[in-house]
Amino acid sequence: MTREITLSQAVNEAIAEEMRRDETVILVGEDVAEAGTPFKVLSGLVEEFGTDRVIDTPIAEPGFMGIAVGAAMTGLRPIVDLMFGDFLYLVMDQLCNQAAKTHYMSGGKLNVPLVLRTNLGATRRSAAQHSQSLHALVAHIPGLKVAMPSSAYEAKGLLKAAIRDDNPVVIFEDKLMYQDKAPVPEEEYLLPLGEAAILREGLEVTLIGTSSMRQVCEKAAEILEADGISAEVVDPRTLVPLDEGTILGSVRKTSRAIVVDEGHQNFGVTAEIAARISEKAFYHLDAPVIRMGAMDVPVPFSPALEDLTVPTPEAVAANARALVRGVPVHAL
Amino acid sequence: MPCEVRMPQLGMVQDSGVITAWLKRNGDPVKAGEPIFEVETDKATMEVEAATDGYLSGVKAAEGDDVPVGDLIAMIVEAEGDVEEASTGASVTEPEDVAVVEAALRSEPKPEMRPTSAPLERAMSKSVAFGRVLASPKARRLATKRGIDLHQLRAQGVAEPIHVADLDAAFAVGRNSLLSAVVDPTAFDEILDRSRTANRTRLLASFAAGAWRATFDVSSVSVTIEDLDGQREVVINPDRGGAGVAEDPVLTLVDLCGTRINGYVPMDGGVTLCVARSAAGYGLLLAFPESRLALPGAAALVEEIAVRIENPLLQLL
Repeated sequence: MTREITLSQAVNEAIAEEMRRDETVILVGEDVAEAGTPFKVLSGLVEEFGTDRVIDTPIAEPGFMGIAVGAAMTGLRPIVDLMFGDFLYLVMDQLCNQAAKTHYMSGGKLNVPLVLRTNLGATRRSAAQHSQSLHALVAHIPGLKVAMPSSAYEAKGLLKAAIRDDNPVVIFEDKLMYQDKAPVPEEEYLLPLGEAAILREGLEVTLIGTSSMRQVCEKAAEILEADGISAEVVDPRTLVPLDEGTILGSVRKTSRAIVVDEGHQNFGVTAEIAARISEKAFYHLDAPVIRMGAMDVPVPFSPALEDLTVPTPEAVAANARALVRGVPVHAL
Repeated sequence: MPCEVRMPQLGMVQDSGVITAWLKRNGDPVKAGEPIFEVETDKATMEVEAATDGYLSGVKAAEGDDVPVGDLIAMIVEAEGDVEEASTGASVTEPEDVAVVEAALRSEPKPEMRPTSAPLERAMSKSVAFGRVLASPKARRLATKRGIDLHQLRAQGVAEPIHVADLDAAFAVGRNSLLSAVVDPTAFDEILDRSRTANRTRLLASFAAGAWRATFDVSSVSVTIEDLDGQREVVINPDRGGAGVAEDPVLTLVDLCGTRINGYVPMDGGVTLCVARSAAGYGLLLAFPESRLALPGAAALVEEIAVRIENPLLQLL
């Protein structure tokens, strides 16, 4: 049986189910208990699990991130709530130098089964320091897994899999999607880390969209269908590990690819995926792989300007149309 | 003293070069060190310079020609009066001269594909700008596989970059060339008679794959087996026990033995091999669009298949 719930409810359910199942799972962060986070994702958890397991911290990200890494090393399974993805800069040492490397540097004697839940996404009028999509930063670091749910269904299944993973996993939710509803099974399910999903089958161009860019790609595919162009939509679901097989298989079929992601385009996730396609499916490509990331500027506060910085369905469709019709997107 | 102009060796493993542009015409005066034509190898495009002063004479290769290393391309003669006519009739680069450029194409110009001068102009101006034909990786791979010369498509006015659709569009779908052969049936019949397990169609598929591999020196060969009921099955490397990775099938095999039909040419533009049995022996009919398979390759392929049917042991080589 499925019912429609919001992404916010899906995350709440995932955490509650895992906390009931495993008493070593704890929740740590700012405003996670009394306030239930600014996005109200965690409402009700402190009532069920108490303040021993749902722990409000001071506004000191490096501090609580360090506490969580230590707790993970010594037997707990902390879920750290980082209120905005932009605050990743504050926890870089605890996350990238400690959590990511401890298993390796202890010769496998220590695990860090930790989940860092945070968010990404612009167009919420939150200005340059609360609108960034910084998943490429952590995807770059060996030892960290990175999940990018694109719906309530994925958010629940990936978060539960992340909590049960024995290694640090960073999970990015799009802060504009918390109220988006999707069908989610009543029964328990996990979505394995490292399996992409083909959300729409097509023949002429593969649109690869992460997180909310999956919806952008799906809308673009609808626009293209009206033009008689058949687009396939692939959601990688996790960046690390990346399901290359599904992505390359799709591109080998369609011969064309556009990678859409909300991180900055320069040196970003789109570049990595596009490079792997170019490297490994080169002889199947009938057009250059196109990257579509966020504009390489600080996210503007002005709504009119902010909306220009992220890929839109129309822009994705325009590029796809050009590729399929053999019109060069960039100068020859 | 007249000086020979030969195709230079520009790379270690290069055995031919494509002349992408003539920078001088037959009869033009040239100075030592002056570039006279551009040549493209698999790696780079380079200008070839005159070795001496004189007049360009007796030009033998046209733009687009792939000339073996060391072959004579032209002479540089001392006196203007010694200039011989160009033997290609095409040492001309003027884009408007459509007829002359067409004459330089290696295959027969096809009237319905006669380009208008506008796209040709664009293609020719690009040829000067880039030297190499711009094509997508997949188009380049398929062109190689099908024996299509991308320079020829450029000369026909196909806009660059060339995509897979251009390969198909440049040659009207459904226009096939045909080759047929009749092969002595004795040895093959004997194998079929004596073996309780031999499957004729499968054996023919493996002969076709082996012949293709031998003719075109490729590592993976898939064959589609089709019958007149429209049933289709793709077999991967039938000559190697089916091992390997699926690729686009190179040809379709239609086994007509046991029917009175002796040939079937589909309109889909693919390479199709029909095998029929008549009183005279095994009849082979290869239908192939020359866009995908050039005549010399097709003829060699039919020969290879024929000798395998005549002497199946050859398949083991």
